[in-house]
Amino acid sequence: MAIDMSEIGEAPPVDRVDIWNREDMEPRIREILDRTVRDRVKGPYAAKTDLEVVAMLERYFARTEGLESIRISGISRMAGGASKEQFAFTLQHEGDPAGERLVLRMDPLEAISQTCRGREAQVHIAFADILPVAPVRSIDADGEILGQPAIILGFVNGVTEPSEGKGHGVSGIGTRYDDWAAKLAPQFVDTLAKVHRFDWRSADLSYFAAPEAGTRQAPIWQVNWWSQVWWDGVVQPVAMVTYAERWLRENAPVCDAPVMCHSDLRLGNFMFEEPSGKFTAVLDWELAHIGDFHEDIAWAIQRLFGTWTDDGTFLVCGLIARDEFLSAYEVASGNQIDPVKLHYYEVLNAYKCAVIDLGQAMRAATESNNHQDIILTWLGSAGAVFLEQLVMLIRKA
Amino acid sequence: MLPDIDLRIANMIKALEQVILPALPRDQRLARDQAMLVAGHLRMIGEQWKSALRYEQVALDDLQGLARDLLPGAPAFLADDLAAALAMAEACDRASVTAIEQANIAIGHAVDAVILGGSDHAPMPSAAVDRLLDYALRHARRERSWFKANRLDPDQNDLPDLVTMLAETN
Repeated sequence: MAIDMSEIGEAPPVDRVDIWNREDMEPRIREILDRTVRDRVKGPYAAKTDLEVVAMLERYFARTEGLESIRISGISRMAGGASKEQFAFTLQHEGDPAGERLVLRMDPLEAISQTCRGREAQVHIAFADILPVAPVRSIDADGEILGQPAIILGFVNGVTEPSEGKGHGVSGIGTRYDDWAAKLAPQFVDTLAKVHRFDWRSADLSYFAAPEAGTRQAPIWQVNWWSQVWWDGVVQPVAMVTYAERWLRENAPVCDAPVMCHSDLRLGNFMFEEPSGKFTAVLDWELAHIGDFHEDIAWAIQRLFGTWTDDGTFLVCGLIARDEFLSAYEVASGNQIDPVKLHYYEVLNAYKCAVIDLGQAMRAATESNNHQDIILTWLGSAGAVFLEQLVMLIRKA
Repeated sequence: MLPDIDLRIANMIKALEQVILPALPRDQRLARDQAMLVAGHLRMIGEQWKSALRYEQVALDDLQGLARDLLPGAPAFLADDLAAALAMAEACDRASVTAIEQANIAIGHAVDAVILGGSDHAPMPSAAVDRLLDYALRHARRERSWFKANRLDPDQNDLPDLVTMLAETN
């Protein structure tokens, strides 16, 4: 059934948002995007060797914590993700000869998404008592000490996909959970609800800014963020990306009550233990921001992140049928899903994915500024999936 | 040429899959993932390379068609640039992938400017929007088919193979 977008096309009279003011975005996001363009020419970037990382960490802990007799051992590059260089390692020093197992999550020169480790750390800390998240051990938000922005987290055990399963894919895409879904789906829905119920006003989120409630600022901030990524990095123009930007500005809906959004909660971005299926960590908070809860729901239901059962039923994130997911979310969160706004955010998310795959990923790979350029071009080859989604979604509107 | 490109690509895939990957330790997941992606890219390039010129020609033809559709409704101050980009595309060396790519980029920027409508964001005529969405759907389907072998497309089974897709554009 076609959705009437006319009711969200008209801004309320109190809305002072200029939908074409590209400068209107979170200040920290602006800093990160400006830094990306400024540093782009410093490439190419090569994957760090284990020896380089050990030396970086030894210097870092000596300087930041004054540790002595530091020993970095058991270093192991972690796979997964298409964005950050990640290493597990054990830190021992004079005050802790037994050592602790940690994870270094470090920006390459340029990644598939350019984000802030400081924001990521603040969200981890804010949710420490609410959701399973890796504890923050240390943070170098601008890379002033380590040489490149990084966060150091406590190591968490778990898997992102069943050890024994049929489907495995890049960045989790295509993973099939099969019998695990019954255990994982309720936790997935509960996680989304807890993120959206979180009282962000009471937390230390100094790297964040909140859009004004009752205005279109929340979606316009997102459009400004991602369109800036596109125009700063475009390798080859794509007419549909440009038209989608225009459509998103002209059809931006009011956000009544901004909430914390994870912004990338999908298959591959939570860990669980086997055989219980209990969540051990919610991962990849780098895109988190304060915005409209519909954005997270629309992100989760994307076709690329889903799978089909053998009888042809589409499963959101490989876990749960779409209608069942939407109903369960409403019960768990207390939020009522507005189908018109959900549709808008489906367009926005398809736009973001197209920008990431065809814009930022292609620019980073073209400049050879990532440690896994080949994954960026592989994911980029799926970018047209989102272009077709944009056509279908906008036509449906 | 001897050895030909197909043979050399097949040799590289065989070396990766039968020698290099088995030699990589199981715990070196990044190296293993990237080696598998190299094989995947090579397999895809093996299917594509003979059609690459034809593909770029079709893509440029289609974009030129969109540009001609947008031209009548374009604001005057943008129409000149669009017409110039169209003329450049029509004159480009159609035997050169590089020349076609450059023409595609130039005309793409001019089309983008018309879509955004300048600093006052002049509205697009609804007929132009329809033509744009028609073009965008063809473009997306073409690209999805071209990269079908990456197996990331949730509807990959509905897509034609490269030969069929290119034949349908004739």
